[in-house]
Amino acid sequence: MISNYTGIVPGSDMLFIRKLAERLAGKSFLHINSTKAGGGVAEILQRMIPIMVELGIDARWDIIEGDDRFFDITKKLHNSLQGSPETINDDMWEYHLEVNKRNAKKLNLDADAVLIHDPQPAPLIGFKQRGVWIWRCHIDVASPYKGIFENLSRYCTQYDAAIFSVAKFTRSLGIDQFIIPPSIDPLSDKNRDLSDEEIHDTRVRFNLPPDRPIILQISRFDRFKDPIGVIQAYRMVKKYNDCLLVLAGSPATDDPEGEAVLKEVQEYASDDPDIRILMLPPFSDRDINALQRIATVVLQKSLKEGFGLTVSEAMWKGKPVIGGAVGGIPLQIVHGLTGFLVHSVEGAAFRIRQFLNYPEMAERMGTMGREYVRNNFLITRQIRDYLTVWYSQEHKGSNLLEL
Amino acid sequence: MGDVMTPFEFRECVNILKSTGRKAGNLRELRDGVAMVSDGSIFHHTCQYFLKGRITEYTNDFAQWAGEGLEERALSEHLSNIDPYACGTLGDVRSELLRVIDSYLEIFPEPREAMPGDEFFFNEPVTLVAPVGIKAGNLAEFLIAVKFVDAASLYYHFYEARLRLGGRIDDFTKWFIDTGRQELAEKIRKIDPFMHNLDGIREHLVEAVEAEVKKGMEVI
Repeated sequence: MISNYTGIVPGSDMLFIRKLAERLAGKSFLHINSTKAGGGVAEILQRMIPIMVELGIDARWDIIEGDDRFFDITKKLHNSLQGSPETINDDMWEYHLEVNKRNAKKLNLDADAVLIHDPQPAPLIGFKQRGVWIWRCHIDVASPYKGIFENLSRYCTQYDAAIFSVAKFTRSLGIDQFIIPPSIDPLSDKNRDLSDEEIHDTRVRFNLPPDRPIILQISRFDRFKDPIGVIQAYRMVKKYNDCLLVLAGSPATDDPEGEAVLKEVQEYASDDPDIRILMLPPFSDRDINALQRIATVVLQKSLKEGFGLTVSEAMWKGKPVIGGAVGGIPLQIVHGLTGFLVHSVEGAAFRIRQFLNYPEMAERMGTMGREYVRNNFLITRQIRDYLTVWYSQEHKGSNLLEL
Repeated sequence: MGDVMTPFEFRECVNILKSTGRKAGNLRELRDGVAMVSDGSIFHHTCQYFLKGRITEYTNDFAQWAGEGLEERALSEHLSNIDPYACGTLGDVRSELLRVIDSYLEIFPEPREAMPGDEFFFNEPVTLVAPVGIKAGNLAEFLIAVKFVDAASLYYHFYEARLRLGGRIDDFTKWFIDTGRQELAEKIRKIDPFMHNLDGIREHLVEAVEAEVKKGMEVI
């Protein structure tokens, strides 16, 4: 399977993955997060774990289980870490810990390296047995609501190291903090090349016309993704250019707000037949892939964002992208070169119109975007980086590691 | 040619970034950071700037931030004009950065604050180095290798070497000197690392070595 990436990803990724794997082969690497379906973390772990196993590493992936109350709390925690004013009282923190305690009893936490993803399972550090423990924060914690990170950091500071997606998310934790962007898998169903028949099949099932421009945003139905702002931008564009808007998302088991936001968006879209709101079932990766290939312009107009990998997904398909200048989106979109960054509904509308009216510019940026993703945001680079962090923690004290 | 030389072993390196935990919200804090951070951090924010794929008017992270984060365009031009490869050592690069910032602060002693979230974050690289598995025993083999090795290998031998060898010399130039090819070494030494990206460096290397190989063939 790993050899299938040769010729697609940079050669140096392959070289260093193999060198690191030679040194880490036979050791165990445990990943823990809170959902097997929905969201970028689950998606990349599904692909990454089998590759690591093939490399000879004893990689495992477990999830913590929780009830509605737990996920309500962790959703509030997630939102407040991204800046929303939410109250998390002592009882809620206590319950957060309690659920993790219950999970710790059921999980096998014995491993040479343990990577804990996001705040939901962060308290598991209290049950560390041995090995290198690393906390991986996927969310935008640049401006958390007051006091919230201080409360969470009682757990984070106990880890050996932390990983953030963007430099400005790093905090003063007193432990090694690495900056590792996430990635997409070019061979997954979501990103692999599709046949014309596969694309046609999706187009027909969703009743999308072949002869009209399509504006697409793919994301969870989450207020931070600004689906209402996307509809507003589309309405501005529609005064000048014929187009369809497709808003597509999948539910996530750890996101209790999704249904309410979906309802708001449906009401706001009213009965405009050119706005298609698609709630895709989990594992609709091939359809998402096809929708991105069908789209004329792809948006990710987030107001807050962990990283926004849908941007890299669209760029990998050579599409012109427009993204909110938040979280990790500016790392992917080099403004004016691989897409456009925007700060408002008006900005998004203007850039959509530019792409629709200058298809050669859209094509040029799409081509540059694909190469930019190849060099920076493919799964092999992320595997290489995770193994490097693990290896560097086993060889602390040097910033130069000879393999 | 048929010359026997000490083989050149191609290696390559990749970096992952580590936060130094230090950030700057204004020019005075940037100055303090530049004075305090590790040589690795200075190297990352100056010599590794072009690796980020940014094609802008700036030539290092400090200049980029001064221009875009602080909107101090004149300062960003001054900082952009610092050629880290001409400075010699990273200590010299640091001194030059401080000199430019200090001069600016003398004229404009009350610099503006960056917007929250737009602060400058000082990072440093953790570098992994590994042999590629290619050795060149003569110029012809070197030429073929340099045409096809990964960009990460060219980076290691042409740019990272300047940090490692602590001067204005790269691995290729050093190999040519060590193997008695002074003229070719001079040609390679003259390739301006400040003005080219890795594709440009590869083109210049191939051109210079190809000419040397042809010269050898004419002699035969």
